[in-house]
Order: sequence, then C-alpha cells, then structure tokens
Amino acid sequence: MKMPEIKLPKPSAITAKLKEAAKLFPDPRDVKLPKNGEELKKAAHDFWYGKPHEERRLGDLYVDKTGLYKHREWRGVKDTFYYFHMIWLYNYANMVADIMKFGGLGIFAKGLWRYRWMGQTYLPVLHWFDRGLEGMRGEALRASAWHYRAMVCVSINQFMNMFKADAKLHNGAHNEAWKHSMAHKETVWGGVFYPWSDQYTNIPMEMIPYFVTCHVNNHTVLNYIDAVQSLGLPGDPCPMCQAEAGLFVLDDMPDYAPFVVTTNEACDGSVASTAIQDWFLNIPLFALPQPMQFDDPLVQEHCANEIRELWKFIEEQTGAPFNWEQLKKKLEAQNELQRFEWEKWDVAAKTSSYPINGVAQALYRIYQTQYGDHYIWHDTDRRVKKILYKCVEKKIDTFPKTRHRVIAWSCAPLYYSHWCTWAYNCWGLNTIINMDSLMFDMEVRTDTLDNCVMDMARYHEWAPMRRMAVGGLHHIFELWDYMERFNCDMVMMYDQLQCKGMQGVVGLFEDEFRKRNIHAIWMPHALPDKRTVSRSEIRRIINDYMSTVMKEEPLDPTLLEFDDDMSW
Amino acid sequence: MRKIRKEKKSCSGCRLLRVLCKLFAFLAAVYGILFTVFFFDLDGKLLFYVVEPFLVKHYDKMERRNPLDMPYDIKK
Ligand code: SF4
Repeated sequence: MKMPEIKLPKPSAITAKLKEAAKLFPDPRDVKLPKNGEELKKAAHDFWYGKPHEERRLGDLYVDKTGLYKHREWRGVKDTFYYFHMIWLYNYANMVADIMKFGGLGIFAKGLWRYRWMGQTYLPVLHWFDRGLEGMRGEALRASAWHYRAMVCVSINQFMNMFKADAKLHNGAHNEAWKHSMAHKETVWGGVFYPWSDQYTNIPMEMIPYFVTCHVNNHTVLNYIDAVQSLGLPGDPCPMCQAEAGLFVLDDMPDYAPFVVTTNEACDGSVASTAIQDWFLNIPLFALPQPMQFDDPLVQEHCANEIRELWKFIEEQTGAPFNWEQLKKKLEAQNELQRFEWEKWDVAAKTSSYPINGVAQALYRIYQTQYGDHYIWHDTDRRVKKILYKCVEKKIDTFPKTRHRVIAWSCAPLYYSHWCTWAYNCWGLNTIINMDSLMFDMEVRTDTLDNCVMDMARYHEWAPMRRMAVGGLHHIFELWDYMERFNCDMVMMYDQLQCKGMQGVVGLFEDEFRKRNIHAIWMPHALPDKRTVSRSEIRRIINDYMSTVMKEEPLDPTLLEFDDDMSW
Repeated sequence: MRKIRKEKKSCSGCRLLRVLCKLFAFLAAVYGILFTVFFFDLDGKLLFYVVEPFLVKHYDKMERRNPLDMPYDIKK
C-alpha cells in the first residue's frame, strides 16, 4: 500500500512565518536593562507610576498597518490594573451578562451568523476602547471608560431587541416581540416614541448596523457603500445615506417591526435613502418631515402638528392609546440627563479638571440624546458625577499636557472619531467640546401637552447635523459663541467632502477665521468612508499645521507617522 | 486511639489546605493567562487574523435575496 505523500513546508517557509509572527510581539532586544543605580531607580519609578508623557513612545506599540498592539500600554501599576480589571475584564464580562439579560446566547449567535454588521463589528469592541483611551491616566481614564461602557450596553440592548423580534431569524414568523417593536430611521429622535415605551420598544434601523459600526470597525460599512453604488448610484452623495441604503440592498436589515417612521433629518440625503428603504421594507410608513430653516415660529407650529400626526399613526398601527403620563415620566428622566450635561459643560468650560476626553464626550452625548432615555445613561452619569466632583474638589488637572483647548466643529469623521485621543497624545491638543454635543441644548417642558409638543418639535429640529450644519448660516456660526463660552483657542474644522451643505460654507468660514485671527485646522473626510481620506492623511494635515504654522514640537514623536490603514 | 483521631483531624485540615492551595494556584494561573492575553493583545490578534477573516468569508458567500426583484410599488 502506498502511503499518501505528506508535503512538509520548507524550513525557510517556517522561518519566514515565525519571523512574521514575531513582528506581532515586542522584540526582546529592544529591552534596555538599567546600567546603574540611577537608571534602576528611574525604571522602578516608571514601572510604578508609568512613564512621563514625553517618554511613552506610544507609536512603537503598534503592529505595522493593523493598529494592533505588540503589547498594550503599561500605564503604571495602578492604571494598568485598573484598565485590566475595570475596563478589559469588566467589559468582556458585562458584554456576556448583557447578552444574557437582553435575550440569551442562542439568539445572539443566530444574529451574529446572519448579519455582517454584527459579526464583523462587535466582536473587537475592546479595541474600540483601546483606541479611544490610549495614553489616558487617572480620573480621565476612568470617566471616559464609563462612557464607553454605557454605549456598549445600549448597543447590545438594541441589537438583541432587533434579533428577538426579527422574522428572518424566526423562520419568517412574526412573534410578540415583532408586534411590539417600532422601527424608525436613526435620525428620528427616540423621544417621540416615549408615550408607548412601557409596552413597545422603538429601535432605530441604522444606529447599530451603520452608525456605531463605523466607530468600532470601519471595514464593515464599506460593503454597504459599495452595494448601493453597484446599483448605479454615483459615488458623490453623502456616504452616510449611501451606507444606510446599502444595508437594504444587501438584505442586511432585520425584519423586526410592523411599521416604520422615517424623516428628512438631517438633510435631503435622508429622503433619498428613505425611498430605497420604503421600497425594500414594504411596510406601512410614516414620514416625519422637519423644517430645515426652523427659526420661523409658524414653522414651529407645523412641526409640532407633524409630531401629533405621528402619534395618531402609531395609535392606528398598534391599537394602543397615547400615554401622556408615560411621556412625562420619560421626558423628566431625560431632562435629568440634560441637567447633568450642563454641569459637565460648566466644568469643561471653566476649569482644567474635566475628566472626559474628546471622543468619549462626543460619542456618548450624541448617542444619548438621539436614542433617548435608557437606564444605563443614569447609571453612568451617577458614576461620572462622583469622578467629576472629585476632580473639581481636588483641582485635579485631568489633561496636564494641554497646549491648546480645541473645539471641533461640523460633521465628524466616524471612522476616526478617536483622532482627538491621538491629537492630545501627540500634540497636546485637548478637544474640550464638539458641535454634536451642543445641539440638543434644552430641557423639554412637561407642564402641559401643548408646551411639551412645541418643545419636542424644537428638540427634533436641533438634531445632529440639522441644527448647525443645515439649519442656516447663523446656526453654523454659533461656533464663535461656543468658542468663547468653552474658552477654546483653536478650531478643528471638519470638512465632510460629500456634504453639500457644509461644502457651501467653506469660503465663509475661511474669511471669518482670518478676520477673527483664529487658528483652525481643516480636517477633510468622508464621514464613514476611510478610503477617501485615510486616518494617516488626517494626521499628516494636523502635523503639518502644528509644525509649520504653530511651530510646535510633538510631545510624542513616535505618533507623527505610522501606518494603520488596515486597522479597525 | 486519641492519637489516631488527632492524626485524622490534621489530615482533613491538610486536605482542605491542599484544596485551597490548588484552587489558589488554579485561580492564579487563570489570572496570569488572562493578564497575558490582555497585555499582549492576544484577543485583538485572534480577532484580527482568525475570527474576522473567517466571518467575512462566511458573509461573502451567504445567499441573499435580491431586493431588485421586488416591484417598486408607490400605490400601497
Ligand atoms: S453629512 Fe451632510 S449630507 Fe450627510 S447627512 Fe449630514 S448634513 Fe446631510
């Protein structure tokens, strides 16, 4: 009998593979042993407290191209073990606990296997923490991480609600969860569904399959953009709306609700994507139009009536009556979140003790205000409040290497929302606040239904991108007031290359920056699509400005240039 | 008799101690492994080089409904 021939790899191939694998880990030859007592003392100090900012060399930690770490950062004993216990272990454990709590492992596994946006995106979620929290220490690390934890919890809650109700995962059956779910565009504020929130669950269609994916793993969204372009759509419309429509083209939207509410928020790009969604969903649809130029009081009245019409539509569809008491209860809970946000802004504006970094501030705030009330926001705010008060009482300088206080303006690059963490580590640019955080700057009155609906209309008009980006010139120029209010000396001006509204005001901004003698860096990007302007290109633009215009030296030169093109 | 009983007693104490030591060693090993995974970003490497490519292959070859087969009906 002839033995089958086994092909062994050549020794040279094995060596090459091993060499490749070795690049994923730190090179032991790079370890410098202390040569004298002085160096030993310094090494012990660095081990215990972590290296001073200028000596960290964070760029050396990356595996080339991937954004992975040869090893995670050593932040000193206290912060490294805080990260290990309270961020890495705690969040992995709580992700499992959340999945169990919101529906169980079985349905989670089914959803993971069925939907690309689920499997490809949410498994590497801890790397999303890593990117946003790089270089953070002490209270800034703690408070920012709690914001991430809240976003993970709400995301799990949402996709588990989708999966529990999804007819595609239940052999086409429309179960009770399906009958008790309400679908809507992610740009419809979750608050308009509060009156039914004790019996029905509202789930935005694209928040989890599109919006959050771009931050966690920016590879996923490219499939959806390409899918819609494969139907013949040219490449230049807003890629957000392209990706939202692409989810439907690839049949990657769960069938989880009997009706849907859409809107023209933030702009006419949403109207276009709604046309495709309407076609492929083929279920009763209510369009909630919101005026672009919303300052006219007559328009306000009209807008409030649209919300009342929506409530009638929901009553018809569900058979459940409008519940004023439930609406009041939820709005009051949401107002409580808003009041704490104002406290946070006060600390951010007037002190150097604000413990939340730019990316945590931006994402948590836009997520919370757009999705609406949820218990985890309250839990998180309670924890953050303790940290915030401690920082203020003890006058802790939370970002001690701040050279410039930055305000970030216009629509942000979703695939590089953590640029501000990099900018602080590399250049001492501390992003204090951003446009998306400032939009829903209001409480909603709950004294009478009329007042309440008028305020809800206003809140809806102040949605992401709508209020400033397409809400009229004097709204986008609110920048100057907020710059002063938050004591900022620099602007990071996002330049969404495919946003026709914002492209129209580039020249006006340039004139104003010159006239007011403001340092502003234009950051070109294409919202979710990293292929148009890469992360390294964004860093190069900031580097150029900081070295040529500001004539400053980087705090950590290893962060100036590195290749992370393939990273999540 | 008394001696024997005494021996037995110390034996069960030893056993308990041994169990506790083993448990401690096991927990310490688990802790050490987890810390190694954390510190050397082994979770990230596994997800990047193994899990994601595997899942992407699966999603790429999945059969999907062609939505263009659906008639576009504006009368509904
Ligand atoms: S980025 Fe611009 S084009 Fe895109 S949705 Fe927002 S406002 Fe519209």
